[in-house]
Amino acid sequence: MKMPLTFVLNNQQTTLEIDARQTLLEVLRNQGGMTSVHRSCEEGECGACTVLLNDEPVNACLVLAASVQGAAVITSEGLVKNGKPHPLMKAFTDELGIQCGFCTPGMLMNAYALINRAGEVLLTDQIIRKTLEGNLCRCTGYVNIIKSVQTAQKAKLAGDWW
Amino acid sequence: MPDNSAGNNAMKNSAMKNFIGSRAMPDLVYHSPDTITDLMVLMDTHGTSARVVAGCTDFIPSIRTGRWCFDQELNLIDVSKMDELHQIEKQGDILKIGAGVNLTRILESPEVQTHCPVLAQAVEQMASLQVRNTATMGGNICMASPAADTVPPLLVLDAWVMIHDAKGEHKVLLTDFFTGPGRSVLTSGQVLTHICIPVKKSNEAAWFQKIGTRTAVIISVVSAAVRVNVTNGICDTARIALGSVAPTPVRVTTAEAFLEGKPLDDQVIKEGARLAAHAISPISDLRSSKEYRKDMAQTLVKRSITACTEALK
Repeated sequence: MKMPLTFVLNNQQTTLEIDARQTLLEVLRNQGGMTSVHRSCEEGECGACTVLLNDEPVNACLVLAASVQGAAVITSEGLVKNGKPHPLMKAFTDELGIQCGFCTPGMLMNAYALINRAGEVLLTDQIIRKTLEGNLCRCTGYVNIIKSVQTAQKAKLAGDWW
Repeated sequence: MPDNSAGNNAMKNSAMKNFIGSRAMPDLVYHSPDTITDLMVLMDTHGTSARVVAGCTDFIPSIRTGRWCFDQELNLIDVSKMDELHQIEKQGDILKIGAGVNLTRILESPEVQTHCPVLAQAVEQMASLQVRNTATMGGNICMASPAADTVPPLLVLDAWVMIHDAKGEHKVLLTDFFTGPGRSVLTSGQVLTHICIPVKKSNEAAWFQKIGTRTAVIISVVSAAVRVNVTNGICDTARIALGSVAPTPVRVTTAEAFLEGKPLDDQVIKEGARLAAHAISPISDLRSSKEYRKDMAQTLVKRSITACTEALK
């Protein structure tokens, strides 16, 4: 069944025409144009499609688009401000937390939520690994990803964050 | 939280099996009721074409992989927005958890951590943060997977579920709830609304352990939960439940009966674990062989009882 879906996508009130069978992943990519939300395993194993749904990371492939009516969704496109990459993105490039880049948008969203939740508590290697366990990187770049998250948190504590 | 009637008639149309995305399904109408009354009206109106879902983290992959097919229009009733199913509250000696509560909330709930910590312990080892933020307690139970990780802890805590239908509400012990892999006593028109768990007593300890092929985001190869109540050094109640070793999560009553009335020393624990493994006949599948499952069941039960006795010291 076709239905209208109204939600807040990257801080913009958005209305899209969707099919009730579509997942949030399909709607974000096909109708919403948010191609940073990567389609991969489509069963919640890899985390490449991670987005924030009301500030909590979820796998967009496991969410029915119809169920996000009225909710707020943030994808990694939404982290960019006035064409400037987010400090978290900068940390990933500075610390070489990116190799092929396929897992990166999902990693960014999960890490963004983690850093915001953590507040002043310094993120240890262990906490970051536990939180990012649902995001697979097949380039095996986890060490640099963890460094990137820690660097980003330092940037946040220094006031360079939005 | 699906009922069984609409589902597993799967495979009727095997041509649909390998389609991906929305094409694997006939048309779908989405409903999101706010109250149990509205939900009951929807269930009544749509009969067998109604399918109850909550987080959808199991529903979507089931459709995608062709485990479930539907050959008629489906009325999907999403209960995840219903406030009545979102409570975690202590009522006397019982912790009542709404079926729509997601796993992250279970994990972080002070009530769960205080009154049934073993449930939080199991949830912490389930899936990933992203899935825990979406998947619900009720969904994990209603999918009736033999590998559902919330179930062994609930079985050892003597939990029961509340089921709502047109006639009202009734109680079903979790031990009587499962009838086979993916099957339960729920019939068309019934919805699981709450999970009720007796709260932890001072002489009680419980433990959960699972083994998977890696530590995160994995379906259990074997899981075990144990609860013991010890008075004056003697075990007066023992509960042992195992997951992924039978068509449903199971209690092993022979081992429980052996432990009761005895002091939990090393010898008794060892024999109890042996009896638990003896009582099950797991299968070999993609994830593991039956021999490995039996061996690991014994090891996990032994470790879990030992952990309980340590906790009570």
